[in-house]
This record gives sequence, structure tokens and C-alpha cells, in this order.
Amino acid sequence: MALLALENVSVNYGGIQAVRGVNLEVNTGEVVTLIGANGAGKSTTLRAISRLLKLREGAIRFDGREITGTAPDAVVTLGIAHCPEGRQVLARQSVEDNLELGAYVRRDFAAIRDDIGKMYDLFPRLGERRNQSAGTLSGGEQQMLAIARALMSRPRLLLLDEPSLGLAPLIVLEIFSIIRNLNEQGTTILLVEQNARLAMQNSHRTYVIEAGQITFTGPSRELLEDERVMRAYLGD
Amino acid sequence: MTTAQFLQNLLNGISIGSVYAIFALGYTLVFSILGIINFAHGAVFTLGAYLTYAMAVGQFGINGLLSGLSIPVQLPFPVALLLGCILSGLVSVLIERLAFRPLRNRGGDALLALVSSLGVALVTVNAIQYFVGSEIYSFPPEIYGDIKPAITFSIGESVVVIRTVQVIIFGVCMAVLVSLGFLIARTRFGKALRAVAENPATASLLGISVNRFILYTFFLSGFLGGLAGSLVGTSFGVAGPYFGVTYGLQGIAVIVLGGLGSIPGSVLGGIIIGLIEAFVPPDYSAYKEAVSFALLFLILMVRPQGLLGQSQIQKV
Ligand SMILES: Nc1ncnc2c1ncn2[C@@H]1O[C@H](COP(=O)(O)OP(=O)(O)OP(=O)(O)O)[C@@H](O)[C@H]1O
Ligand SMILES: [Mg+2]
Repeated sequence: MALLALENVSVNYGGIQAVRGVNLEVNTGEVVTLIGANGAGKSTTLRAISRLLKLREGAIRFDGREITGTAPDAVVTLGIAHCPEGRQVLARQSVEDNLELGAYVRRDFAAIRDDIGKMYDLFPRLGERRNQSAGTLSGGEQQMLAIARALMSRPRLLLLDEPSLGLAPLIVLEIFSIIRNLNEQGTTILLVEQNARLAMQNSHRTYVIEAGQITFTGPSRELLEDERVMRAYLGD
Repeated sequence: MTTAQFLQNLLNGISIGSVYAIFALGYTLVFSILGIINFAHGAVFTLGAYLTYAMAVGQFGINGLLSGLSIPVQLPFPVALLLGCILSGLVSVLIERLAFRPLRNRGGDALLALVSSLGVALVTVNAIQYFVGSEIYSFPPEIYGDIKPAITFSIGESVVVIRTVQVIIFGVCMAVLVSLGFLIARTRFGKALRAVAENPATASLLGISVNRFILYTFFLSGFLGGLAGSLVGTSFGVAGPYFGVTYGLQGIAVIVLGGLGSIPGSVLGGIIIGLIEAFVPPDYSAYKEAVSFALLFLILMVRPQGLLGQSQIQKV
């Protein structure tokens, strides 16, 4: 059964239609990639799912229940975590407080402490800087913090908006191995990436969005071979 | 100025300054979340003083709808004070729901919120006047129970008087400041509150309900406003429905001096404005507000962001 389903979703910014009639499903246990050019509507789609944006039309279902009118904070409680584009860390709070706030919807405080420790194992640089305010981290470190913070809510569905942006190639590979690990442990993931090839190699299915509309969809392996997708998004 | 006079002014200044600090924090909390100065805060200050008076003393004068009313059951002062503060907090929450949130939901400009908070302030003050008239109400000294009204000691020729009320006020303010500091800096609640202040969209992505935290903020703000009003009331009397107006302006001077949105800045600014007032010679005491605003102006010429404020570039 689909964990997440978007049905005919349209989103406007004022008079501008950014997303038009999008149908998209993510099944439990999958990694799904959403790729598209700059301004195609990828981030808008994720913001609609996490309820930061109102829909103009359509419906969103999570785990069989309609969340179209749900408040953003309530969506987190249901099990969706959104790691937004451009490392939206809380610059004035410490690294550790950012992680703690990532677990705001949880009440199992002992397990939260354990999870913070796990994040430091996963991203040792964060552990070294735990008491530093997040605004003083480098861009790449902030990106790691944003990802770690999203994991702290132990989401069932993780929305990642360009997690590799601004990271060194080795760290990018590490991020993708973390994504694979998370998925093996049961987290379902919807991934937006500029690095289309890597994202498709690490996902089950792919959607391609152009000017707000889904134009291709299928198993990632097949789309990786598709000539039109290759020419437009894979640079060869 | 003799040593004794200096000491006397210092004590007076710190005592009233600590009240300014907690009052100003009420403005600061709302400012750091919504980016607006809540002009209704001065009215909550006034209302808080009347509420505490009603529960602790309950004798109304000869003007207004409730003239001659005397409330039969009186609460012990600490209980009346606590309830007065809680009720002030709830009134402040009501103000957010009626005057701020509807405008925010319609994407209203910050200037509109300012005007609507001024409107709320006027309505509240007029309502107080309508019910209890414009006379001065004083708390009788018995409310503190069986304690000496003042301690005096002399240095050389002159005498320093420490009124018990001043000590109580200072103690209450310090206790509140320390608890509030702990709440905001150390607890999960405080961290979430600061997250909402820094970036509401990010906070909501973490599962923090922004609107709920705005309500908590208004509650805290109103609680502090009511507390400040009640404490000033017990010290100098509840001087009519408009008595919050000058304090309201002083409070704004305090937050601008300390740096808009800065919590330590409000505390520092409060103490400084309190001291300035205390050191204005008695013959000129009618001009003490003017003196503190003149000084404020001078300080802002040198440090436009206030003493502990962040530079404006970062804020805007
Ligand atoms: N806040 C906004 N107000 C107005 N228009 C916006 C806003 N945010 C995005 N848009 C417009 O909506 C369209 C889709 O933007 P979106 O951010 O979803 O693109 P994207 O696919 O994530 O692009 P990128 O790869 O550059 O991140 C773009 O045309 C963009 O200009
Ligand atoms: Mg984007």
C-alpha cells in the first residue's frame, strides 16, 4: 500500500502555478527520487507534503489518512520529517539543541539521548562541535546537521531536499550510504536531488518533473537507460 | 550628594529598575516572536494592578459603575498577586487571539498590528475607568502581614530608609528573572520557544506548533505585565486607569535601550532606567521620564542597536 499518495495536487504562489496536477506515490520501504530542472517544482512539492504550503487543488494521503488540511507540526507527529532545501538550521542554538529539537515530537527522553549519540557516530564533525552555535558551522556541516536533525524524529517518511548540495564528493557518497542504511532499517524516503544519476542509482523509482508537471515515471533502473531522461538530466 | 543619599537612590533605583526589567521582558518576548511592539502591554500592566487590588483589598471608591462595592472575601496577598498575574496572562492571550492573530492570518502588515494593539490598550483603559473610576487605590500596609514597614539606618548625619515593600519587590523580581532565564535558556520549552522566534517555518517542520507557542508567549508576557503593575501598585498605589501609560513608555525606552528582542538587554535596560529615575533630584522628579528619554537618545546615537542588541542588518 502507498504510504504517501499525492492525487492531482496543484500549488500556486499568488498567481503563479508552481505545481500542476501532480500524482505521486511512495510505497512503504521505498526510496523514491524526484528530479527536474531548477524551478521545476520539486521543493514546492515537498513543502506541500509537509503542509508548509496550501494546495490549490488535489489531496494528500499519508498512511491512508488525508492530511490535506493538517497543520505542519501535526504532520511531523504523524511521522513525516522534512529536511528542507538550504540547511535551515537554527543558527542561534547549539548543534546539540538543534538535534534535541529534531526530536521535539518524541517523549522517550532516554532514547533521544542515545539517538543524539548515534548522530555523532554518524557525523563525527557534529560531535566535535556539539556546543557550538549552529550558525558558526561550515555550509557542509550545517547540511549534515539538517539531515541529522530530520532523523531525530525517527520518521516513517523522510523528505530530503537536495541533501548533497554543497558537500564534498566523499561526503556525498557517505550521505548516500546513510540513505541506503536508513532505508534498509525501514525508513521510507522521498529524495529530491540535483545529482540525478547518483540519486537514481540509489532509489527504487523515479519521477521526473518539468514545469510543475510529472513527465516521466518508472523504476529508476529503467529511467537510467531512457534516452530522453539521459539527455535532459544525466548530462550524456 | 551625601553617601547616605547616594545609597538611598541606589536602593530605590535597583528596586524600581527590577520592576522595569520584568515589565520590559513582556514586550521583549512578544517582540522576539512577532517582531512587533505590543502597545497593549501597558494596559495589561494597569489591569493586573487592579485585578490584584480587587482580590487582595476589594474596596472600590465613589466613581464608576462599581462605586461603593466592597468584595466580601479577601485573598491573602501572595495568592491575590499570583491570581492577578495569571489573569493578566490570560487577558494577554485573549488580546493575541482577538487583535493579533486575525491580522496575521490575513497577512497583515506589522503596522496594522501596532494600531490594533493601541486600540486594545485604549479600550482596556476606558473599561477600567468605566467600572472603577479614575481615583487612586492604595494597598494598605497590612497586606504584608505583621512586618515592619521599613528598616532605617544612619550613615553619619543622614538616614537611609529601606521600605519593606522595596525589598519584597526586588526579591520577587529576582526570583522571576532567574526562573524565566532558566525556563528560556535550559528547558525543552525554552528551546522550542527560541526556535519559533528564530524561524517559525523551521520550527513547524520540527513539530512545534507556532501558534501555540505564540499563545504561551503572550501568556508569559501578560503575566509579567500584571506582576509589574501589581508591584508598582503596592509600592506607590494604583494611580488611576492611565497609570500604565507612562510606565508603558518607560518600558519601551527600556527595550530600545537594552536592544530590541534581547532578554539580557531588557534586564540591563530596566535597571539603568530605574537608576536614572532614582538619581533625578526630587525637585525635578516630574521630568524623570524626559530625562530617561534624553539619555536614551544619546545612547542610541552611539549604539543604534541598543546596549545588547544585535545589529539591525541581522534583524531585518
Ligand atoms: N516563495 C515563492 N514565491 C513565488 N514563487 C516561488 C516561490 N518559491 C518558488 N517559487 C517559484 O515556483 C517555481 C518552483 O519552485 P521550486 O522551488 O519548487 O523549484 P525547484 O524544483 O525546487 O528548483 P531548484 O532545483 O532550483 O531548487 C519556480 O518557478 C519558483 O520561481
Ligand atoms: Mg528546490
